Amino acid sequence: MALLDLKVNGQEAQVEAPDTALLLDVLRERLFLTGAKRGCETSHCGCCTVRVDGMAVHSCVVLAARCQGKEITTVEGCGDGMELDRLQRLFLEHGAVQCGYCGPGMLMAAKALLERNPQPTLDEVKKGLDGNLCRCTGYTPIFDAILAYSRGA
Amino acid sequence: MADDYRVIGTPVVRPDGAEMISGQAVYGPDVTQPGMLWGKILRSPLPHARIRSIDVEKARALPGVTVISAHDVPDRRYGYAIEDEQIFAVEKVRYAGEPVAAAAAPDEERALEALSLIDVEYEELPAVFTAAEGARDGAPLVHEELGPARSVYLASWNPVPGTNIIHQASHHRGDVDAALARADYVFEDTFHASQIHHCYMEPHATLASVRGSEVTVWTCSQEVFQLRTLLAGLFAIPESRMRVINTKVGGGFGGKIEPRLEPVAVALSMHSRKPVKMVMTRAEEFTAAAGSTPATVTVKTGVMKDGTLAARDIDFLWDTGAHAEGLPPSNRAMKDGNGPYRVHDLRISSTLVYTNKMRGTQLRGLGVPEGAFAIESQMDMIAERLGMDPLELRLKNILQEGDINSIDDVVQSIGLQECLESVAREIGWGEPKPPNVGRGLAVIAKSPTTHSSISAAYVQFNEDGSAQVLVGASEIGQGMTVVMCQIAAEVLGLPVEQVGISSADTATTPYDRGTFSSRVTFYTGMAVKIAAEDARNQLLDVASRMVEIPREDLAVAEERVVSPVHPELSLTFREVLERAHTSERPILGRGTYGGKGDYPTLPHKAQRKEYVPGWKYAAQAVEAEIDEETGIIRVRRIASAHDVGKSLNPTSVDGQIVGGVVMGLGYALHERLQFDNGRIVNPSFMDYKIPSSQEIPEIAPIAVEVPLPEGPFGAKGIGELAIVGIAPAIGNAIHQVLGVRLKELPLFPERVLEAVESQRKDHGG
Repeated sequence: MALLDLKVNGQEAQVEAPDTALLLDVLRERLFLTGAKRGCETSHCGCCTVRVDGMAVHSCVVLAARCQGKEITTVEGCGDGMELDRLQRLFLEHGAVQCGYCGPGMLMAAKALLERNPQPTLDEVKKGLDGNLCRCTGYTPIFDAILAYSRGA
Repeated sequence: MADDYRVIGTPVVRPDGAEMISGQAVYGPDVTQPGMLWGKILRSPLPHARIRSIDVEKARALPGVTVISAHDVPDRRYGYAIEDEQIFAVEKVRYAGEPVAAAAAPDEERALEALSLIDVEYEELPAVFTAAEGARDGAPLVHEELGPARSVYLASWNPVPGTNIIHQASHHRGDVDAALARADYVFEDTFHASQIHHCYMEPHATLASVRGSEVTVWTCSQEVFQLRTLLAGLFAIPESRMRVINTKVGGGFGGKIEPRLEPVAVALSMHSRKPVKMVMTRAEEFTAAAGSTPATVTVKTGVMKDGTLAARDIDFLWDTGAHAEGLPPSNRAMKDGNGPYRVHDLRISSTLVYTNKMRGTQLRGLGVPEGAFAIESQMDMIAERLGMDPLELRLKNILQEGDINSIDDVVQSIGLQECLESVAREIGWGEPKPPNVGRGLAVIAKSPTTHSSISAAYVQFNEDGSAQVLVGASEIGQGMTVVMCQIAAEVLGLPVEQVGISSADTATTPYDRGTFSSRVTFYTGMAVKIAAEDARNQLLDVASRMVEIPREDLAVAEERVVSPVHPELSLTFREVLERAHTSERPILGRGTYGGKGDYPTLPHKAQRKEYVPGWKYAAQAVEAEIDEETGIIRVRRIASAHDVGKSLNPTSVDGQIVGGVVMGLGYALHERLQFDNGRIVNPSFMDYKIPSSQEIPEIAPIAVEVPLPEGPFGAKGIGELAIVGIAPAIGNAIHQVLGVRLKELPLFPERVLEAVESQRKDHGG
């Protein structure tokens, strides 16, 4: 066991966990931040996507211990209290959320993409979401929401 | 139909959207209870084997661990289709992945450690891996014991004793053999549909808690009431003591209808006296949950020179795996197998066969995609032979208002021709194109769900004049929560934000058969509409007594009771509710719907009660670029037009269409569960590829609105159809470019190349 100093959504958290603990498990089981989801165990579905120092990462294959001293942002860090942020609202308005299980990961991947490239083309959006699977929406409404955001809609 | 609705037909944002996109929604894997244990299942590594012995003693010696196997659970069979399953394998295992034992421990690692200490001795048995092998005389039997099994689903269930054939059905009209003999041409072709996986992103997850005589199960199910009945029966508990609560459901597509983890979790909780949580891994999903029910479909079609379809004889051979959950698709094919065509002399037969593999079950469209791949591929083959345009051939033969359909119903409320013409227009049918680009069409029909398709709803006014909808159907992502709120809001004269909705819970929401087969908008929607009308009328009764104006002269508008006869009247809902809650009685509207017509076994039509409304129709068109050198198919554009009756929420309708189209794209191009001696060898998202963001073509969803008089505001269901026609439409586009016909799914590049190669050989090239 190790004592990990993590900074999640701007708040310091000290967590006791095995050295081998995955970031996803620490977030979900120790910090009760269940917004990041597990959809597979092999880093293919992206439901567990969170941001570490701005980068979108699959938290199911990242050791929590490696994230000490870094800024971890999860979906719980988006919006303000009861208020959704603009990208979250656009996701809903465009129907980018059906069952919603991929939604938090998709949102975090989209945020990383938009920060890297505030005016992405459709092809760049498609590439930026390549690590995140969705079985419900057919992706198109997600593309639309991201493009609407970048257009300032 | 007048179209001056306030809420119906507008793109209202889902009331459950915010909790999902903020990560706060509680899905199956997110549920916790104080002191809970984690449960894991030991599964058979072999496809067919006798269990010589199970030794759980070493595992039980671990502290804090509960271990159970067949000896520790009720000796009862269960199953929605046929009761052919037990919680754990008894005497033998029938597929690699079958539960043999289970353990519960304070954490998953300990539970897995316990499983590793269980010794099972197997004696391998000869096995069958295809429906054709399984149907042969003398094939090893998957279920020797099925004599006394019961079917809940079928009034008349027709197995062939002493074989692996668990059900045979046929539907026959006219004189098919004579009509085929009279036809100018007869086409006979065999097609193979592969087994795909639902691939909902959320794995199966459940938490069972036994406290005293009460059992509570949280689970991501599509049908909480069916599940309650099954669990209560299995554990011999009254349904009043068995409570099933829906968590948020992270996708279903038919894969979360039947029980998976729940019986094991309840049994583990009973033995450990603690809450037990279970979550499947993705590998378990792929190897032990279920896939679609694959079929081999042989179609014989007789055609006249002018293109009129004269007769059809369709034979379905279904591989249901080790459990008969393939029964609904195999039966559905009786009604839907012929597609939306006028064919008088018709024979459809269906054979469902057990094999030693993970079960096939219902998957979006249950049985319709398998039939449509065959029928819609062959329609283009017929068109080519007759020298007709495939669009013309379809227009000539598709069902129209007033026609008699495959099951002798008079066709009513059909917008199919408009669907077909609109996708042809959208895709540029007949317009010039490069030689490596092909375009393909498909038309689709799906019959209404009839078997036990009943729903109930309550609509209750709150003290402040807002309202609450209570329904027991499951929100699995399709957006039924927003649609039910819209229906109630429209009837009650409330803004949609003033309507709340519960999620399914057998202890608090009224009965609903559940979420499957595109039925919820229609059946649950009608129940909500009737309940809302009841609540509105009760509200007006109270108001009538308050203001001494007859109820007939009162109406609701903008959270007020108004009267066209007395324009000065304006009474707020809040005022009426205050009166109701202080001096009269609370307002609780009640609605039920369904129970119409049933086709338990089509040959016995006398059992049918009445015409069942709600057939759904669609047409799809694709444009694809085919690389003759590599066989790679790049789909560029897809148009998908659906006769939805009335689009209650355009965002949801478009979402169902686009999502279904993309699932259809995976089904067409690359999805397939791959077996080696009964074991699935591609159990991950790396080896089983579903469509990703990078391969999404331009998709045009089109809603055609031919109102269904019986539906809520004219609406029909939409959930499943968009998956159906993509595979044959792409197959038809490939044929247009290369002149080859692929008869087996998926349409892998190597299959394209093989077809091109064998065509060259045939032509002496």
